Amino acid sequence: MLENPRLSIIVPFFNEEESIRPLYAAIVAAISPLEVTFEMVFVDDGSSDGTVRIATELARSDSRVRVVKFRRNYGQTPAMAAGIEHARGEILVTMDGDLQNDPADIGLFLKKMDEGFDIVVGWRHDRKDKLISRKIPSRIANRLIGKVTGVPIMDNGCSLKAYRGALIKEIPLYSEMHRFIPAMASIAGPRIAEIKVRHHARQFGASKYGLSRVYRVLLDLMVIKTVTSFTARPLIWFSLLSLPLLILGTIVLVYTLVSSDPISLPVAGSGVVFMASAFILTSAGAFGELVYKLGDMRDYHFSRLTQRISRPHSPSQTRNS
Amino acid sequence: MSQHDLAPQLSVIVPVGERYADLREIFYEYKAGLTAAGMTWEMIFVLDGRHAECEKELKQLAACGEPITVVGLTRNFGEATALMAGFEQSHAPFIATLPAYHQIDGNEIHKLVAGLNSADLCVGRRWPRQETWFSSMRRVAFHRLAAWVTGMPLRDLGCGARVMRRCVLEEIALYGDQHRFLALLADRQGFRVREIDLHQSPKDHFEGGYRAREYAHRILDIFTVFFLVRFTKKPLRFFGMVGASTFTIGLILVLIIVVQRLFFHQPLADRPALLLSSLLIVLGLQVFALGLLGELIIFTHAKDLKDYQVERIIEFETFPTPDGQAKVLRSLPGQNPPPSRQADG
Repeated sequence: MLENPRLSIIVPFFNEEESIRPLYAAIVAAISPLEVTFEMVFVDDGSSDGTVRIATELARSDSRVRVVKFRRNYGQTPAMAAGIEHARGEILVTMDGDLQNDPADIGLFLKKMDEGFDIVVGWRHDRKDKLISRKIPSRIANRLIGKVTGVPIMDNGCSLKAYRGALIKEIPLYSEMHRFIPAMASIAGPRIAEIKVRHHARQFGASKYGLSRVYRVLLDLMVIKTVTSFTARPLIWFSLLSLPLLILGTIVLVYTLVSSDPISLPVAGSGVVFMASAFILTSAGAFGELVYKLGDMRDYHFSRLTQRISRPHSPSQTRNS
Repeated sequence: MSQHDLAPQLSVIVPVGERYADLREIFYEYKAGLTAAGMTWEMIFVLDGRHAECEKELKQLAACGEPITVVGLTRNFGEATALMAGFEQSHAPFIATLPAYHQIDGNEIHKLVAGLNSADLCVGRRWPRQETWFSSMRRVAFHRLAAWVTGMPLRDLGCGARVMRRCVLEEIALYGDQHRFLALLADRQGFRVREIDLHQSPKDHFEGGYRAREYAHRILDIFTVFFLVRFTKKPLRFFGMVGASTFTIGLILVLIIVVQRLFFHQPLADRPALLLSSLLIVLGLQVFALGLLGELIIFTHAKDLKDYQVERIIEFETFPTPDGQAKVLRSLPGQNPPPSRQADG
């Protein structure tokens, strides 16, 4: 393929041999009328069934299909990350391989992207999943994620999303961050839009994700908060953490010194412990500054990804024109 | 040195560390075994530390026309480093590592090589073992523990005989004491690993393994592997768990003390429990902060620490030829992916 396509559709598969052909057909049927050049990047996440074989057959019959094969199962985030890395399109659309997303919605995403948004996320407003085990926890999680990260999205778990390729390729994705891609991308300050998408009940196979991830989501949220809003200023973030300890320690120490009773060892001791801890936390912040300095994440670098420059004399200077 | 010119099929790396037998004897034993295995081979001795005697001996062998390369390290860097140094000098598509002392029967090498038909890495397991009941018990206990921690039941981590495809070592950079866990690391990267029973050499006697230091090393090994396998990419999962539980215990303790002070009139000031609880709270916070720092390191280096390996990319010509000729059907070296970023259109 000599020309880079305009659109890349990235689909991670893990043991979805029944779904892959119908999904391929649906994608082709949905995109062909749109008259855009596109490619499909199928990521095989170490499937043990016939997924790779079928995907290879599809790639052989249709050159727009590329298959990225993992040697073993790594999970959804690495699969997405690999798909994003190997996609060549200007706009990247990610979706699930289990037919729960509808490729017919991709047209809406493209239209939104053309309006100038950097990220468009899907919202499964009419979700076909179990209420107790999937929908309610997901609603709580989404509220929480929106509050903490400051990116209020109704449905973080929906895989159907569209990104500007140049932007998303620069956003680090690891661990289990696929649920937080918009939040993670918020370091670059993208223009995010949300549109309603269709959602189908699962046709084949079983759901591969359960309820046992609350604790992980909470910790990941903490991580995202740290790395997105405080990356450039770890010292301040850690100092904020240490502030309550510092105040507590000061109060306790002042109290022991001022009170007329003989000094109580446990009380004075706790005061000293709190103070010491506050200092150590602040030092951790200083250490964080060092880490940041040596790493390769830079705010100005991210700002460049979403900036738009308009000069009065040269009309075609905006990146999205 | 004619055999050097034909690129050999198998490069054998023999790290010579603190423990080594008569290298000439070892060499001839392995030579017999390798010849029986029916591959062309070269042998790379890595002298880990100054072994002047060995060097002289090996150079004599090389002068006799044996396909020997000697890599001399200036000090003892450890076996993993020695293996990597040897690997850098190797040319063959298959790599073997063999110990510099009698551990396995040299005639068994062909079994390892044959195992590559269905695996990317074959590690030897000395079986049946000749050992005292005490060391047998020790060995089983250690391996049970390691299997439990790592989730991979390997039964002879101490065996230095391994055969692998070149891509295994290309993707896994060993350091420290990690050579023991090569099978485990390879498994994590998705390579197929097999353990193959080999006859133990009758001369395999390891003296001096009974010191306390040795035990401490083994325990630390297990710790290393535990972190390596479970938490390298998500430090907060571990530190967060430890930190949060410590913090919670401390907080509950403080609450109890405060309630007792407020409602049951127990004095607050004279209780060492207060000190303990504040220590716990503080400790929990510190551990949590460590985890956050770890995450910060991961985040700022996310580009270098990729947590997946692409085995290959399957794509075909724009206009498919009748026989479906593949344009690209390749294995990507995992560490440096091709620059896939395109100029935006």
